[in-house]
Amino acid sequence: MSSRRSRSRQAAAGVSRNISDDQINELVSKLQELLPELRHSRSHSDKASAARVLQETCNYIRSLHREVDDLSERLSELLATTDGPQAAMIRSLLSQ
Amino acid sequence: MCNPSGNQLDNVSRRNSARMLKQEFLKKWIMGLQICSASKKEMSILERKKAIKLSADLAMASTKNGTTNWSLALISNASKENDNKTLVDQMLGNHHSEKISTKRPSIVSIFRNKRVATCRGKKILKKRGGIRRAKKMASSATSIAKRLVKKRTQVLKRLVPGGEYMDELNLMEETLDYILSLRAQVDVMRHFANATPKFES
Repeated sequence: MSSRRSRSRQAAAGVSRNISDDQINELVSKLQELLPELRHSRSHSDKASAARVLQETCNYIRSLHREVDDLSERLSELLATTDGPQAAMIRSLLSQ
Repeated sequence: MCNPSGNQLDNVSRRNSARMLKQEFLKKWIMGLQICSASKKEMSILERKKAIKLSADLAMASTKNGTTNWSLALISNASKENDNKTLVDQMLGNHHSEKISTKRPSIVSIFRNKRVATCRGKKILKKRGGIRRAKKMASSATSIAKRLVKKRTQVLKRLVPGGEYMDELNLMEETLDYILSLRAQVDVMRHFANATPKFES
């Protein structure tokens, strides 16, 4: 009786969904495909552990943040010397 | 029946959507840069760097049109500083602050509800202590792995904007999207940096 009550209460309070292992696994493997470190290795074993994927994910995000920072600094120095960024912008737009 | 070239079509459509994302980002970023340079004529290198970075982050977040939590959190965090408010408003439109205030409370309520659910769960465990305790001793390896996953999830929550308010599933989905956006942002910025000529004085 009490288990039924608590289960229904959990469902009512659960704006956070009932998370199935399958859903998590699917997302973990999708992440694994994105990560440069893990994508090329492991051809025979299907997937790295969740802990490893999480670690590589954090490392990757941190390195992307650092790149944005470095590029911003580099651009700041470059744009200081050029008259206007219009020429570079047009070139970039054309090359996409 | 599986389409044999289905994979190729997937790759092509993925590349197309990535290219469209980059173009939209570039347009918005340039708009942001022009707003910055119009408002302040003389900027130090550090000030310009912050402006470039902020315009880029806001441009990427605005391409999401409020469909992801990370983009909303990023914009909301940026608007908290007075210096940034004008740029946020001009890049995203004044109506955007309304969107944020209606979305944020629901994220907080998700977090609150999640805590309620875990408390109830603990009470059940205490009742059937005997069975749970035996299972725990048999799977100490799994519990170590689980603790490691939990620790790393905490780190991830701090890296993704708004992560602390997300449940596990939401966090993973948002992380995927966030990484794709960051990659597009870095690609465009790198392209731009390589294309800009350098004048040696």
